[in-house]
Order: sequence, then structure tokens, then C-alpha cells
Amino acid sequence: MAKTVDQYLDDLRGTRVWRSIFRSGTGSSTLKRALAIQQNVFLHLFSTKVRTRMLSFSATWYLGTLTLGTFLILVATGIPLMFYYHPSVPQAYADTKDLQFVVSSGLFLRNLHRWSAHAMVFLVFAHMFKVFYRGAYRTPREFNWVIGVILLLMTLLLSYTGYLLPWDQLAYWAITVGSNIASAVPVMGEKIHFLLLGGNAVNANALLRFYVLHCMILPLAAMFFVAIHFWRIRKDGGLYSHDSEPAALRANVATDAAPAKEAQ
Amino acid sequence: MKEKFTSLWQRLFGDSVRAFGVVSLIFLASLAIAPAKNFFSEWRHYQHGYLRMVRNRSDANTLQRHFQGGIQQIWLPELGVVDRCTSCHVGLKEASLTDVPTQPFRTHPVIPHKLDQFGCTVCHRGQGAATTVAEAHNSTLAWEQPILPAKYIESSCGECHRGPLPGTPQLNQGRNLLARQGCAHCHTVKLPDGTTMKATDDPPSLSHVADKTTREWIYAWLKDPQAYASTSTMPNFKLTDDDARDMSAFLIANSTPLPGDTATLSARPSSDPAAGASLYGESFCASCHAVQNAAGNMVGGDVGPELTRGGNKVKPEWLQAWLRNPRNYDPRTGMPHYRFNDPQIATLSGFLLAKTDSDLLANVHLEAATPEQIAHGKRLVSDYGCASCHEIAGIKKPENFAPELSHIGSKPVTQLIFLPGMPHTLPDYIAGKIKQPRTFSPGLKMPQYAFTPAQIDSLTTALLALNDRSNTLPPSLAVATTPESDYQPAGKAGKLMTDLACFSCHRINGHGGDMAPDLTWEGSSVQREWLVQFFKNPGTLRPSLIRRMPRFNLNDAEVNELTDYIMTVYQTPAIDRDSMPLSGYSQGQVELGKQLFYGKYSCQGCHIVDTKTDKGYIGPTLTHVGSRLTAAWIYQWMKNPQSLRPGTAEPNRGMSDDEARALTAFLISQKGGARQEAAKK
Repeated sequence: MAKTVDQYLDDLRGTRVWRSIFRSGTGSSTLKRALAIQQNVFLHLFSTKVRTRMLSFSATWYLGTLTLGTFLILVATGIPLMFYYHPSVPQAYADTKDLQFVVSSGLFLRNLHRWSAHAMVFLVFAHMFKVFYRGAYRTPREFNWVIGVILLLMTLLLSYTGYLLPWDQLAYWAITVGSNIASAVPVMGEKIHFLLLGGNAVNANALLRFYVLHCMILPLAAMFFVAIHFWRIRKDGGLYSHDSEPAALRANVATDAAPAKEAQ
Repeated sequence: MKEKFTSLWQRLFGDSVRAFGVVSLIFLASLAIAPAKNFFSEWRHYQHGYLRMVRNRSDANTLQRHFQGGIQQIWLPELGVVDRCTSCHVGLKEASLTDVPTQPFRTHPVIPHKLDQFGCTVCHRGQGAATTVAEAHNSTLAWEQPILPAKYIESSCGECHRGPLPGTPQLNQGRNLLARQGCAHCHTVKLPDGTTMKATDDPPSLSHVADKTTREWIYAWLKDPQAYASTSTMPNFKLTDDDARDMSAFLIANSTPLPGDTATLSARPSSDPAAGASLYGESFCASCHAVQNAAGNMVGGDVGPELTRGGNKVKPEWLQAWLRNPRNYDPRTGMPHYRFNDPQIATLSGFLLAKTDSDLLANVHLEAATPEQIAHGKRLVSDYGCASCHEIAGIKKPENFAPELSHIGSKPVTQLIFLPGMPHTLPDYIAGKIKQPRTFSPGLKMPQYAFTPAQIDSLTTALLALNDRSNTLPPSLAVATTPESDYQPAGKAGKLMTDLACFSCHRINGHGGDMAPDLTWEGSSVQREWLVQFFKNPGTLRPSLIRRMPRFNLNDAEVNELTDYIMTVYQTPAIDRDSMPLSGYSQGQVELGKQLFYGKYSCQGCHIVDTKTDKGYIGPTLTHVGSRLTAAWIYQWMKNPQSLRPGTAEPNRGMSDDEARALTAFLISQKGGARQEAAKK
């Protein structure tokens, strides 16, 4: 069964159409595989070679990939949600209720978006803890760590801006409280508050601002930084493993870790 | 345990094909949740229930034909309404479903509006967009306006209807109470039509209060106004003995004497109770003033203050000066200036002063006030906002003393502080505040009112109508009320009418009370001679009425002045008063009119022409109508009574000109002849 599927796929890869798109052609030689990665605009972000060991669950717990997965779900559900939503007062609330009560599977769509958002925040944190405790943020990967922190901020801002969009009591007061925290910043707090809301209180301007941020600016920025993040993984020597570190650093880690071993 | 888990893991995710299969299955199952949820939705459950119920009814076919499945909604963009209530409440429009005991399948009670034009939430509140019971009926984290309890439903009528409606007694009463109980003195109430609610009570000025009453009475009154008069609109401020003592001290010390107010007694108050009672009755004091009788019932009107214990309150000198001319003490009073002579004043004041309650002031013993007490009293008077209602020399009327109530019916529940154990809804909050204002937090100033539960519900209803919807209503939907005009008659007659307080009872050109007939077109309606006689000796037109026009003891010059003014000024453009003669109709016409009166139109059902046979008590007695009304008025009245008095109970019978003329001939011949002829003989 599996073999026939492979054969079919090979035949497909041999077709002219396929060849016109993926110019590297078929074949399982190292060169062909490397070319397949290098010559694809999407895949070229990734390393041409990954150790099998690094693909095991225990190496990364797949946390980065899962985060990307939730992000893709959010994009996929967010676009149909935009079809039903007007960022205006009070239509925004009515639209949410339409999604909830009359749009076919609208509630499912909304809940999928919501739970994926929650999951994404959780996964981003988990991913960062895993990276931190494994020491994968160290040279030469420190820049990618910084990109990761920016992506964390992006994730949180996406969550925060999305919270206002249902325009219900919960949203209104959460954003009122949240934006008041911003105004506690010394000297320019009030200005930030005003800039954030487009006014002095949460109203139609704030809703429009948050909508544009949530659906345009922040997702595009997140995609941009995600691309850099992935590209840097390749540039920084692939996924982290202990032996991928420079020899000098490896020695340091060994001496750092030694006292702990002795204690055992 | 661990091995079991590992073997399970191996079986499910051991190789890529298995893992892909398992994950796909989980994914499919989770995707199936959405259609499943849709299929088992509440509204489908109710619609199935409805169809099951309908199946066994005799009118099953009709009902099934009317039934439309799926989500139903009433969409009214103008009102911002998207109501899906009819998805579950399927039988609202089925007239035959009155026998279904409860909603959701019962038919809607008969109302003057169509459901399709107003939807559901405009009246009932709740969340119309929702299709689940919990979200539609209750308040949730995201939606805080639950279904309005049925007992306040009339408040929703008040969102559009700004004036009184026949079908909304509770709302009308509530609005009346808001104005009459003086709520608007302290609370600003901007009405949706842009005007500000005016208080219609008239709290007396306290600048000369020492002329009128004693410090002991003020003390007792401040402590418990309802102990003096149960109908009093003055609320109870729950003052301590010391505070009441100091406030009474300040009010007496602050009062200045008014010249002519305590003139020496022209006559000793008479102690003849029979003469007093008869003068009290003749003057129809009870039209405005109430007295509690032995059985505890209030007898009399509620326009003026209750007089049950009046003798405890007023000083005899003041009362006599007041009866002589009330406008001297209070130029704006609604009390007419009766032209009483000295013996009458003595009789009436004696009668009124005898109305005392020996218990009222029995335990009030006040020492002479110290300056500190007076100063403290002044501070209290200004703290409690007494000057919001009463004019008090030296204390300014406070601005924005109490919270504005213009949008109270839409106040977010999140901004309210509830008492423990109280349901967290706006109606309960408002009702609780009216019932016991001081319990909500210490230091609140709102006093305790003596409202009945029904009055509290009425007030709550009226306040709930002051909401965002009523303020943002499309102008096409607002049903405006005619505002009170500030009409004031001119000249000498105008002064006289003010002096007699005609507007306390009568309405003219949109100004005045509603106790007595509207006089706007009186000059077209009545004959001059009758009016002169009526002023001198007011008789009654409607025997069933207790409240009547009092006799003011006018002199001839005053009567002529008033009559001339009324006959000249208060004329309708619709009628020429002199276009039809008052006599000279043919006997045939009169006979035809009589036949129409008793036969075709059966007027005797409400009116009396022949006192021996007719029994009608709803309309005025017509035995003397020929010497009272003008023929032109009667003719027009027969043709279209509503054109002369909008809202009159007299039906428009659509008479032909000939019929109307014949009835006019018949009625104009009713000059009280029988009795007059008998007197002549």
C-alpha cells in the first residue's frame, strides 16, 4: 500500500507541470534533496539537512512547530471571521452574536480561533522555557532569542487587541483596565494611552485601531519575524543540540555542569 | 502502568501511518462537534416540542401550515432590533393558543402594536440576537440587560409615548408621582423631548414660617411628617431629637414677619361646628383638601394639604389672614381667594382649628434655643438640602444636589452597588433605593418616603422608561405629549382669574388643572345670562360628581368683568355663536328631535331631560340645557363632539344635518320650563 503511494508520488514528481514548478526534480540523493530545499522560496528558510535525532519528540517537544501550527489555525479561522465582522459600534457586538447564534458553525469557528489563541500563548511560553532551560539561547543563537522575545510580544499584543473585538462588557472593561495600565508609564503615559485608544476612552476609535492592529499590522509583522526566526535557525547551525555548539563553549558548559554532577 | 501506557502509545502512534490515522480520526471527531452542536441547539428542541404539542390539537393543520422552521428573526434597522425570540416562541401570533398555560408556545396577549413592527426586546428587553434561553433571558458577563420583569413592562410603552396613555395606568401614576412627590426638586430629570421635568408639588416658603406655625409643630413635623398628615409629601429625614430641635430653632429664628399676615383677630373663632361644617361643604373645600374620618378613610381631594390635624399646626391669627386672602402670604398659591366676610372667616377658622390631635404635640417640650443650636440648625438645613424644595431666606437652592436621573433606566449594572442578598438587576436596585434609600450606605441624604409597594412599582416603571432607547428614538416613533403652556389671561379679568385660582381646577389654552371642565371655548358654548347666574350661585350639571364649583362671593362688577372676558375671548373659530337662534323652532322639528333623542339615539342612556323617566348619570343633566348652551354649540356638538372637546366621552353618531338640527331644536327647548312655570304659577 505504502509503496504504491510512493510510486504514485514519484510519477507525479516526474510530470512536466511538477518539473516546471519544482525545478530540482526527483531523486533521493543528498544533492537532489538539498536542491529541493534551496530552490523553494518557502523551504529555503530551513536547513537542507537535519539530524534524525533532532526530529524526535524529546529533542524539542515540537513546541516551536506547534506554535506555528496554532498561528496557521489562527490565520485560517481569522480570515472567515473577518467576513462576518464589522469593526464598528455597536455592530461589532451584533456580529459576534450572529456568529454565535446564526452563522453555520460560526461558534465553532470563533471558539477554534479563541482556543488556538490561548494555546499559542501557552506554547510560546513553553517554547521559551524549553529553549531557556536547554541553554539554546546562547551564542551563536542569541539574536534568534531576541527575535523570539519580539515574537512573544507580538503574540501577547495579538491576544490583547483581539480581546476588544467582541465589544462586549468583558472586552470593554478588560481594555479599559489594560489601557489604564499603559497610562501609568511616567511622563508620557497619558500620550501612550491616547495613542493606543485614539481617544481618552475605549470607544469606536479604539475598536477600529485594535481591529487594524489585530488583522493587519500585527499578523504581517509576526509573519515577518517568524520568517527571520526560521531563517536564523539555519544560519545559526540548525536546531540546537549539545554537539552543535562551538568546542570552546562546549568546554565551558562541561565545567559549569561538573559541580552538579559531583553533588550527585 | 508505564508499560501499559507505552504499549498503548506504540499501538496508536507507533508508525507514521497509524499516527496519521489516529490524528485524522481525532480531527474528524472534533470537526463533527460543530454540526452536532447546531443540530442539538435549544431552538430546534423547542420547535420540535411545538410541533409535538400542535399535533394533537384540533387546529393542527392550520398551526402546522403557519409554522416556519429554522431560525426566525424580526429585523428592524431603525430601532436597532434583531430579535430571534420567535425561533423558540413559535406560537406568539397564533390566536388560538391562548389555552397553552405558559410560554414559549402561548400566544402573545393582545397589544395595540404588531410584533413585526416592534419586535420583542423593545418592550421586554433581554438579548434579542441570542438563540439560547440563558443568553436571551438572563444577564451574562457580556450582556447585562436581562428580561424586564412583567410588572414593569409598562415602562417600555413610556419609551415612545411621552404622555399618559389609557392602557398604562402604572406608568402614568409613576410619572405623576415623580413630579408630584417632588423628586425633580433634587434630581434633575431631562426628558427625552428635551424639556426638564418640573415638580408639580408646591412646597411652601419657609421665610415667614413663624407667622404660620409654632416651633413645637415644626419639630414634630420634622421628626415624622406622616404622623401629622398621612398624605404628606414631605419625606422623613430620620432626624435625631437634637437635630430636629436645632433645625426648628433655626427656621423660627430665620423667619421674618410678613405685614398683614397675623392681623389681629377680626372675630373670635366661632365654635359652632354645624355652621363650620356647612360652610366647609358649601365652599367645596373638600374638592382640594382631605380630612381623615373616624373610620380612617381620607375624604376629599389631594390638591391642597390634608387638614385632619390642621388645628395643631396653624396659628389662629395666621389662619384668619389666610382665609381672608391667601395670596398675601403666598402669591403663587393654588388656593382661590374666597371673598369671605368676617363672620364666615370666624366660623370657618373655628371649624378648622378644632381639627386637632391631642397626642401630636403632647410630648414636645423645647427649651429656648441657643445661638449654637441655631447655627447648627442652619448647617443641617443646608446639608439636608431643605432649600431644594423650600424657599428659605439666606440659604440658596443647591445645584445638582442629587444624581441626575435622565438615563437611569439604562444605568449599567456594573456601576451599581447592591445590598447583600439583593437580586443584581436594575429594577430591583431602583425599587430598593426608593423603598429604603438610607440602607444603601451610611451618610446618604435621600430621605425615607412613605410609598406603598404599588407606588414604588409605579415609580420604578416610570424611571425605567428614562433610558437610552427613549433618548435616541427616531423622531418618527416618538409620540409627543402636549406640553403645559404658560398661558396667562390678560388685563383686569386676568388678575381676577389669578386671584380666584381658576387654573387650579380649570384648563384654558393648554394651561391649568384637570378637575373641572376646559374653558378654552366657553364663550362659544354658554349663554351669557346663564354664566352670570352660575357665578352668583354655582349649581351642578353632573349630579354624580362630588367636586363642584365653589361660590366665591363675587360682587356684580367682578361677575360682569369675568363674564365679559369669557364671552369675548374664549370663542372657538369653528362656531359662530349667534348663527342659530335660541328659540323659534317649529313644533315639528322639536317633536322630531324628541323622537331621535329617545328613539334612534337613545340619549337618555347617559343624559336626563325628563327627571321622572330618564336615568342617565354619565353625561350632564340636560333639563336646563336650553338656557345654558348656545344653539350653534349644540348643533356642532351633535355633528362632531370631538371637534369641540377632543377626548370627550360623547360618541360621534354621524348625524345628518337635519337630525342634528332637530335635536338642537329639541334640546334648546329644554329651559327648565316645568319648574319655572310652576314657580310662576
